[in-house]
Amino acid sequence: MTQAPIREPETKGKKDEEENEFKGTFIAVMLLGLFLIASWVGVWILFLVR
Amino acid sequence: MNMHKYEKIWLWFGTVTLFVFLTVVGISAFYMGNKPPSCAVTIDPAKAAKEAPFNEPGLTQIGDNEYQLTVLASAFHFNVGDPEGIIEIPKGATVHISATTSDVIHGFELAGTNVNMMLEPGYISTYTNTFKNAGTYTLLCNEYCGTGHQTMAATIKVVE
Repeated sequence: MTQAPIREPETKGKKDEEENEFKGTFIAVMLLGLFLIASWVGVWILFLVR
Repeated sequence: MNMHKYEKIWLWFGTVTLFVFLTVVGISAFYMGNKPPSCAVTIDPAKAAKEAPFNEPGLTQIGDNEYQLTVLASAFHFNVGDPEGIIEIPKGATVHISATTSDVIHGFELAGTNVNMMLEPGYISTYTNTFKNAGTYTLLCNEYCGTGHQTMAATIKVVE
């Protein structure tokens, strides 16, 4: 019973830390996604105008 | 299932993108009528030069602003029905291209346009293209076909 309140903030802190840890990965993967979309749209426009 | 928030966003992003791409391709194919080159018709490559339509290659008008272009490729020459290898097409014309080879595999690329086919012995490759932009385009072989491969070319002029 006495252990519960101690554990809670511990896990919360861990979650925040994890989120920060993945922020860079998320941004990198989104940039990759935008690059894929931009190249796809570029090729598509090239096909339409030629 | 416990999944990270960022992972969920990324999966949604990927799924939505996939469906957008498929929709665009679907509209392009079924509404706009865009399709890849076809090679459904067969021909005996040894007799191709003697059989119609390849016994008389060249450009023929078949309708209002509609043309048929027949090309017979062989090492190392595109027979477009003109001794100089020059074809003139009016701007905006729809051209149905039929091409085949009488010997080995050749390429059929009209650089700067969407016309890009592979010519295989025994098959007639077809593609329909509307020439929207005026200019001089080079028809070239993009499949290595032998020692004279680099000399294999013809010219297509799209004129106003």
